[in-house]
Order: sequence, then structure tokens, then C-alpha cells
Amino acid sequence: MSTMKTTRDVKGVGVSIPRPDGPEKVTGRVQYVADIQPKGLLHAKLLRSPHAHARIVSIDTSAAKALPGVRAVLTAKDIPHLKKKAPTRAHAVLAIDRAVFMGQPVAAVAADELSIAEEALDLIKVEYQVLAASIDPLKAMLPGAPPVADAGTEADTSEALAHSAVAIAKSEAPAKAVNISQQARLQRGDPAKGFAESDHVLEKTYRVPMVHQGYLEAHAVLAEWDRNGLLTLWASTQGSFNTRSEVADVLGISENRIRVIPVECGGGFGGKIRALCEPITAVLAQVTKRPVRYVMTRREELQAGMPAPQVIIKLKTGVKRDGTLMALDAETVIDSGAFSGAVLAVSAVFLGSMYKWPAFDIRGFEVLTHKPSVAAYRAPVAPQTIFAIESHMEQIARDLDLDSVEFRMRHLIQEGDPMVNGQPWQSNGAKQVLSRIAEHPHWKTRKQWVAAADKNGKLRGVGLALGGWLGGLQPTGATVRLNPDGSLAVLTGQVDIAGTNISLAQIAASAYGVDTDLVRITTGDTDVAPMTGLSAGSKTIYTVGAAVLQAAEDARRQTFEIAAAELEASVHDLELVDGNVTVRGMPDKGITLATIGKKGNLYMSKTPPVLGKANPAFTQQAPAFAAQLARLEVDADTGEVTIQDFVIVQDVGKAINPLGVEGQMQGGAVQSLGIALTEGLIFDDSGRLTNPSLLDYRKLTAADLPNLETIIVEVPSPAGPFGARGVGEPPIIPAPAAIANAIQNATGARLTELPMSPERIALALVNGKH
Amino acid sequence: MAKQILSCNVNGEPVDVLVQPYVTLLDALREDMGLTGPKEGCGTGDCGACTVHVDGKVVASCLMLAMQARGRKIRTIEGLAAADSTLHPLQDAFVRLGVPQCGFCIPGVLMAATALLEENPRPSEEEIRYGIAGNLCRCTGYTKMVTAISEAAETLATQRSAR
Repeated sequence: MSTMKTTRDVKGVGVSIPRPDGPEKVTGRVQYVADIQPKGLLHAKLLRSPHAHARIVSIDTSAAKALPGVRAVLTAKDIPHLKKKAPTRAHAVLAIDRAVFMGQPVAAVAADELSIAEEALDLIKVEYQVLAASIDPLKAMLPGAPPVADAGTEADTSEALAHSAVAIAKSEAPAKAVNISQQARLQRGDPAKGFAESDHVLEKTYRVPMVHQGYLEAHAVLAEWDRNGLLTLWASTQGSFNTRSEVADVLGISENRIRVIPVECGGGFGGKIRALCEPITAVLAQVTKRPVRYVMTRREELQAGMPAPQVIIKLKTGVKRDGTLMALDAETVIDSGAFSGAVLAVSAVFLGSMYKWPAFDIRGFEVLTHKPSVAAYRAPVAPQTIFAIESHMEQIARDLDLDSVEFRMRHLIQEGDPMVNGQPWQSNGAKQVLSRIAEHPHWKTRKQWVAAADKNGKLRGVGLALGGWLGGLQPTGATVRLNPDGSLAVLTGQVDIAGTNISLAQIAASAYGVDTDLVRITTGDTDVAPMTGLSAGSKTIYTVGAAVLQAAEDARRQTFEIAAAELEASVHDLELVDGNVTVRGMPDKGITLATIGKKGNLYMSKTPPVLGKANPAFTQQAPAFAAQLARLEVDADTGEVTIQDFVIVQDVGKAINPLGVEGQMQGGAVQSLGIALTEGLIFDDSGRLTNPSLLDYRKLTAADLPNLETIIVEVPSPAGPFGARGVGEPPIIPAPAAIANAIQNATGARLTELPMSPERIALALVNGKH
Repeated sequence: MAKQILSCNVNGEPVDVLVQPYVTLLDALREDMGLTGPKEGCGTGDCGACTVHVDGKVVASCLMLAMQARGRKIRTIEGLAAADSTLHPLQDAFVRLGVPQCGFCIPGVLMAATALLEENPRPSEEEIRYGIAGNLCRCTGYTKMVTAISEAAETLATQRSAR
């Protein structure tokens, strides 16, 4: 699509503009779901299974129902349309006869007060027969492991499709093992021959535990039915139309009976794409005929949210002494928890696609275990996969005494190179990003900096890593309306989880030809807004931005047609300057936007109101890469890591709003550092989460971090608005490998398991593990 | 259980409100007084989203019983801007530097930062980082937050010297 030619520079694309919701957010006035308190509100609580795998023998709710203030107590029996073989977590509203992870909802209560609902949970008596559980994914893959899904349950690949469509050769027939829910295999050339001809063969296994997205606002929803049987959901969601479809499907009603109002989302990061507590809350509201609000506790979030999967990657590489790549043998095992839905294909494809391996055999398995089922987390499975790749590449370079940047650069893909699934890489800035970070003084002076370490037991290291993301696609729509005061109103259905609305307003401003101050953008609910996709896959600006751009161009065209008629001039002779449409060269002959806007809203007027619209679908992805560099110190005695400096270089195509882009880069990097250093859901052998609080599930605080330096690189994408690419996901990808590489630079030890806790580092130093 | 009268001062106004004796200060503020600025992020004092001031000290309001606030001065995010709605320099810096993303942690961070600057008007970067270490933010990476607090400290110092 064309980038718009405006007749003068407006305050639009490329300018740092603070988000307009800032004042509401710093004053505490912004409302999240838990802040909405309608009259007659009931509070919901869920009774959750205390066992990872158990048959439900009986449930007695009589005492709970008798408690004053309790308005409803539901079990699966009360929801007759619930089916076994639930294809997704959302469909498993309440456990029917078997609980398949600890924390799975078994019964639901709605009561006048939260404390009454909590008391009611204690009065529900459930008899369980505890069953053997599959917890370790590698054991769960073996024939004879305790089965998780009911036989015949289908795999769920919708998440992968929503996030980052990668075509993959259809997998082989399901294996005999009961818990393998998806498989992928990608092969090219003759890896055995490649290994035989290699001088250096390196084999390592990389492990990343389940991590939680960590949004500060827990899942929350408010549901109310009206007397016509219409359901309204006030939801904390990354996609109101998706929530509507999922809830409709689960409840077995049509979508036009549901209105989803997207309330301010207190963080999602992929964890608020799929429905979770919306269906049961809707059922409670239906039964009680009252508004019902459900807010998960943090403990419930950690125990029974939808975290990122545990990933175990085995890599075996063969290279020549000069660093020539010969062969790759890789296996990725993704623990999807109790329901299918991990983005297996992305991991499998990325394993062999970043660097040009002439021969490879890549196998991917999605495995079910008796743990909470997983969902997306900002570039789902990319940080885990890239941790393996970029650790491994660094190790090869180190073993062969090659410059690690030159070694990468020599084999790094560029536009047109085939991915392992045969799909060609689209235009991307991988090489530009890598070379930009290698130019950074922290990299160039790394040897001096390391050598200058104090003699206080702190070892110094510098490391970097590269990571990328293909970027998602989804059809969308937008309208741009000219108001009677000459300002613009932009309407989309896109939930703003990342500061995208101000950037969309900037796109509309530049495309139409007015300052951003004159553009107000609204996220409409599912009753009023053009249908749109998820706020996920780094695709809001790339796709919705394109829709807004086209709609604004359409509105500008309509405006010029009206002006041309009014001024008796050709549209080709018109220009828009300072809110005036004038005939070029005749500044006195003009009509203001306000006049045109007013004419569209006058009784008996013959002027049509300006209403630009666009509803594009997309086919071309825009991969986006980020590189990160860490300078850190390791306490050789305690294993404690202190990050002294951290640099993020990212190709964003075009920074529509640099302020917002920096915020995404910094926030994503800290999540990436959390995966690297402190985070991990730790389950014991019985499937019980051992760290269900934010004291024990350690997220990084301000005191753990230095200021983060951001460097924006702009390699325009061919199809994105003004050349923009996705921004949100790339910055969460490289840090685990960058930190592992820096730790090895400091200590000589190669850490292959995340998080790289002081304990693991200290042990690696003691064991001399390289 | 019978409700009890909680008499205290909230954001400069005397307040008498009926609360259950077992509710936390956070719940009393949110549910009984309609002050939903303080947020519940964890309910166990680990995330800082519920931070308010009690007699000028930073408190995780999810860990304090409402009745323990009897006779005390409570300040919430709703009481940070001036009476004429002029933003506090911290709020202003947060907006200008684009700190808030999802916004959920922001009321707690601002209350922690306000207390920090009242106690230590010219904190170093490290002191700022420790001053908000009890407040988890998942969106920003803290860099812009630290810069904004530093800028607000400058603004407040300028305002003081002008007086």
C-alpha cells in the first residue's frame, strides 16, 4: 500500500507523543473489571481440585447452598451442555468426572459477598479418588504413562494460527504414546552425512520451566444477562471478538446474543487471549439473574492460570573447523499442560530457520501433562527456542575460537532464504540489528571491561544474543469520521494493551493531514466496532494500523471530493493545510474541515458526512528482530548475577511513536530477563505448585535492574503502515541467551537450564560444568 | 458479624464508614468508600499495587485490617493531585515520559514514590530503585519510571526553592 502524501508535515507518525490515557491512569481513575460495581452485584468463587489427577466420586453442595447469602452453587451436572473431551481449557468449564490438573475448577459459587462465597467453598464436600499423574513431560511421552486427555480429544492449534502462522508439513500419524497431542517433523538433506563430515559436533539439552505472563491484574470478568437473553461481558481481554466467539461456542449460543465490552486490560502478554473464567461467570449470572463478577486471586493465577509451556530442546550440531554449518538434529518437547494449544510449529520451525543449515532433522512434540494448560506469552515459545539456538551458536564459536558475531552473521538468514518449512523469509532487519549491536561500545570494549574486574570475587562477562519473530496476521477494520469541528474520530474494535491507540491516531493524522491532537480514537465493543482480531502477535500496528491508514486516506478522498464540488475545482488541484482545503496556489480559495464536517451534519444538507472505512485482510508477514547485550558481574561464591548494563537493539520498521516503542522494548526485555534469571513455576512430583505466590515466584524489581538502553533500527517493511513492523514481541526473546553467554564469558560455565538462579550458577562453577 | 464504624481521615476528609471487622483496609477503601485507585495485585503484600499512606508511611493496604486505621490519616492515589486537579509533579512526569502502560501498578508506584521523595527529596538512582522495589511492574521495565521520579524530584526542589 502507498504511504500517504500529506501536503505539509503534520504532528503525526514518528513523533513521541504521550498516551492520552496517562492522566486517567496516574490519578487512579481508570476502571478495570474489579473496579466496576453495579447494583445487585454477586461475587463468584471457584472450588478447585486439590489433586493433579483424580476421579470425582461425589460432590455434596447442600451445606453450601443452605448458607445465607449464597445465590448459586454449580457443578458440572448443573451445566448439561458441558461435554467430555473438551477441546480447549475454556470448554472445560467445570470438571465433569475427572480433574486433570491441580486447581481445575470443580464447583462454582455466587454469593452476596466475597467472604460468603469463600465460606461456601469450605462447605462443599468432594470425594476424590486420586489417580497416578503425568507431571514430567518426558515421562508423559512414554507409552503407558497416565493419560491426560480423554481418548479422541482433538489437538488445538488455533493459538499458533492466531499468533504467527507458520505453515508446517502435516505431522505424522499420532504415536502410540497417549499424551503426545501434536507432532511435527521437518527434514532436508542428509544430516548423517553432514555429521560425518563435521569437525565439531556439539550436543546439548536446554530446559526452560513453565513461566507465568505475570500481568499485574489477575483474570477478571463481569457478566450480566438482560431479560431478552442477551449476555453482556465486561472483560479484561486481548480480543473482545475472540472472547465473544469462544464464550458463544462454550455456552452453545450464537454470537449475536453476546456483547463483550473490553475494559482496560491490566496486562495480558498473551495470557488474556483465550477465554478462561468468562464461561462459568456467564453461567452463574444466568442462573442467578444478577450481575456476577469473578476476579481470580494471585494464587489461583499462578496455580491455575494459563502460563507459558515448559520447553525442553535437544540440539546436536555439526560444523567444519572454519565454522561452516553442516548438519542440525533437533528435538523440541513442549509441555502443554492438561489441554493442547501450544505453538509447537513456531518452535520447530525456528530451530532450523534462523541460521542456514544445509541438512537438518527437526522433531517437535506437544505433550500433555497433569498441570495447568498453557497459553501464549509474548512471542510464545520464542524466548525458550532462541535460548537454545543462541546459546548453542555462542558455544560453537567459543569452541572453534571464532568471533561470535562474525560466525552468526555468516550464517544468518536474510530475505528470500527458505525457512525449514520451505516458506521464504520476508524482508527483515536481522543482519542490521546484529551489526548495530556489535558496533556498541559495550561490545567493542568487552575485553577491557572484563579484564578491569575488581579483585573482590566478582567475575565480569559480556554477552549478546539475537532473536526474532515472524509477526502475526488477522483481518481487521477501522472507520475514520470527520466531526463538525474539523477533528477526526477513529473507531476500531482493537483492545489497546500496548499503547497502540495513540500510534493508530498518529497514523490517521499523517494519512489524513491533520495533527494528532485533532484525532480521537475509540475502542468500541463488539456491538459497535468493526470486527477485528486479537491484540497479539505483534500485529496491531501492522494490521490495524494499515486499516486506519486506508480508512484515513478514504476519508481524505471523500473530504476532497466535497471540497472540490464546493470550490468548483478539481480534486487534483486541492491541498490540505492547517485544517483548510484550498486550491493549490490560491490560498484564499478554500473551505475548512469544520465547514465540511458541519455540512455533513446539517438538517436537509445535500453533503454526505465523511466516513472513511477500510477492512483489509493480510497475507504478508513482517518478521522483526531484536538483539540484546548484557554486561554483568557474577559473584563466584554465591552465584549471584548483577546486571550492570543492558542494551536493546530492535528493528521496528518505522517507529510510529518512539516513546511507546521504547516502553515496549524495555518492558519486554525485563520479562525476558525474568525468564533468564528468576522465574519458573516449580511443580513437585504430585503436580503441586510449590511457589504459588509472588514472594516465591520471583519477578524482577526496579532494584534488580539497571537503566535499559534502547536503540531503534528502522528497516521498513514492504506492507506495513509507513513501513512499520511489529514491536511487542521481539524484545522478550534474546535475554536468556544473552545472559547465559555473558555468564559463560564471566565464569566459563555454560548454563543450559533456566532460570539461571544463583544456586544453579554456583553449582555449575563448583562442578566446572562447561 | 456486626459491622463496625471506622472513623478516620481519608485524603483530607473525615470519614465514618461501616465495615466488617475482618475486611482489609484495601477492601474498605475499594468496596465501602468507592476509592478503587488502590489495586489488589496479589493480596499478600508482595506486589505493591495496593500501596497507600497511613500517617505518612507507606503501607500495603491489603495487609492491614480496616479497623486498624481508626483515627488515622489515610492517603490514596485519589488524594495525590491538588484540590484543583493539578497533577502532582510525580503524576505529571509519569504522563509526560509515557510511564504508564497497562496502568495497574501505577497508583501503588506513585504512592511509594511520593513517600520516598517526602523522606528523601533528592534520591540517587539507586535510592529510587530501592524506593519502588516493593512495587512490581510488568510492562515498563522500570527505566522510564526511575527517570520520571528523578525528574519529579528536580521539579519539587525547584518549587521549594521558589517558595
